[in-house]
Amino acid sequence: MPAMRRSAFFSCVALAAISVSLYAQELALPLKPDSVRFAVIGDMGTGEKPQYEVAEQIIACRRKFPFEFVIMLGDNIYGGHDPIDYQNKFELPYKPLLDAGVKFYAVLGNHDTPNERFYKSFNMNGQKYYTYKKSNVRFLALDSNYMDPQQLSWLEKELQNSGSDWRICYFHHPLYSSGAFHGSSTELRPLLEPLFVKYGVQVVFAGHEHVYERVKPQNGTYYFTEGASGSLRKGNLSKTDLTAAGYDQDRSFMLVEIAGDELYFQTISRVGLTVDSGVIRRVAKIAGAASWPTVRPGHGGLPGRTVAKAIGVGLTRALTATE
Amino acid sequence: MKRRIRVTRLLLWLSLFAFVAPGFAGQARDSEEARDLKTFTDRVQAYVKMQKNLEASLPTLKPTKDAAQIVEHQHALARKIADARRGARQGDIFTHEVTERFRKIIRKAFQGPEGRPARKTILPDSAFKAIVLHVNDVVPEDMPLTTTPPTLLRRLPELPQELVYRIVGHDLTLQDTKARLIVDLIPNAIP
Repeated sequence: MPAMRRSAFFSCVALAAISVSLYAQELALPLKPDSVRFAVIGDMGTGEKPQYEVAEQIIACRRKFPFEFVIMLGDNIYGGHDPIDYQNKFELPYKPLLDAGVKFYAVLGNHDTPNERFYKSFNMNGQKYYTYKKSNVRFLALDSNYMDPQQLSWLEKELQNSGSDWRICYFHHPLYSSGAFHGSSTELRPLLEPLFVKYGVQVVFAGHEHVYERVKPQNGTYYFTEGASGSLRKGNLSKTDLTAAGYDQDRSFMLVEIAGDELYFQTISRVGLTVDSGVIRRVAKIAGAASWPTVRPGHGGLPGRTVAKAIGVGLTRALTATE
Repeated sequence: MKRRIRVTRLLLWLSLFAFVAPGFAGQARDSEEARDLKTFTDRVQAYVKMQKNLEASLPTLKPTKDAAQIVEHQHALARKIADARRGARQGDIFTHEVTERFRKIIRKAFQGPEGRPARKTILPDSAFKAIVLHVNDVVPEDMPLTTTPPTLLRRLPELPQELVYRIVGHDLTLQDTKARLIVDLIPNAIP
């Protein structure tokens, strides 16, 4: 009898493992023609095994979702900054992506040195903050370590002149976060948020907290924290009123696709588990007003809520959308 | 009668003086402040000029895929600056008067409930051991940056892009962003 029980137990475990791996292979992104496709990683530059494992997962995902570029949310290189560190903490883990011509666009985190801006593979062109455009999307990469009046004026001017449909900002310190270690950057928020609202920034990505979190829309803007692509503070996400979805049990990264007025996202763990997904819709701009997005979590039959169901509560701690 | 007129005149003069004197005192304060600020900006400009001249003697640093070039440039520039400023002392740029002005500004930025977010901003990020830095020291590469509170940056004089204000422990430092050198500092500036 105990032998039967044991074999049943192992069968269940095997079945669960198979279902997890099948689940992991599902792509929640529509792969529409001419869409803007990118990956999002943050706080990754440890040079340790988990960073390499996340990188392998990103590389595997690119076979199904051929993204063109990666945005890096800071803490690109932890610790020393000798040439060997650039190699072990960036060039080696992402080598297949670099070889395939995937571009990386970095911002500086609190563990980075300002001279990373001269590292060509980070595409910062010698600047601590910069902007670029991909199709109908304007990206603004900011230096949240040093938000001086010059940078704020620059940001306002760039947002003013941005004719793009989508405006996406990214930087290291999150304006909204339920992370227990740092929490929200309440000093930066009153400086940046009014500009995001005024000029209709639809989506903001940040890192710093070593967890994943999707925050409920704040004044019309969607805030994501992805600070667990190398470092992890396991169990560090305290569910607050801000949290729409979150994951703090393993490392993760995001895949994003923007097609017309829709932004699709999928957050995947180190082992290939989808921990969150959804679509954000951009509402057409009314003259003089900012364009506000709406979200529908769990696009493509992959609502975040089913994650816990699929692999068993306790393995993940998916804090799923309540919108 | 004559006496009453004299007293009235005196009172008039006294009230006029009481009205005008604070204005003069304020103007004097403003001009002192402007003078101190000018001292600071002049010295900052002089430093940047020297830094640019020294950097011009090195191979130009353009964005490169070779991290060694970036690191070599930083070290070479730091060596040149440290050599050129061998006699530099704390207070060369943050003079006594400038230091006092800065201390007042910093105290204001951190005091009361309005200063709470700024205090939160500078909370140490990790268990990195607090260190004391001196003029011409190179900032350790593994030391996490403390975000300089944006509300403080709004109050302090603007800097050229070659320099930044950085908080290290309780000190306010003036750092060269390319050479990663401590240019000057105000010890225990953060209350």
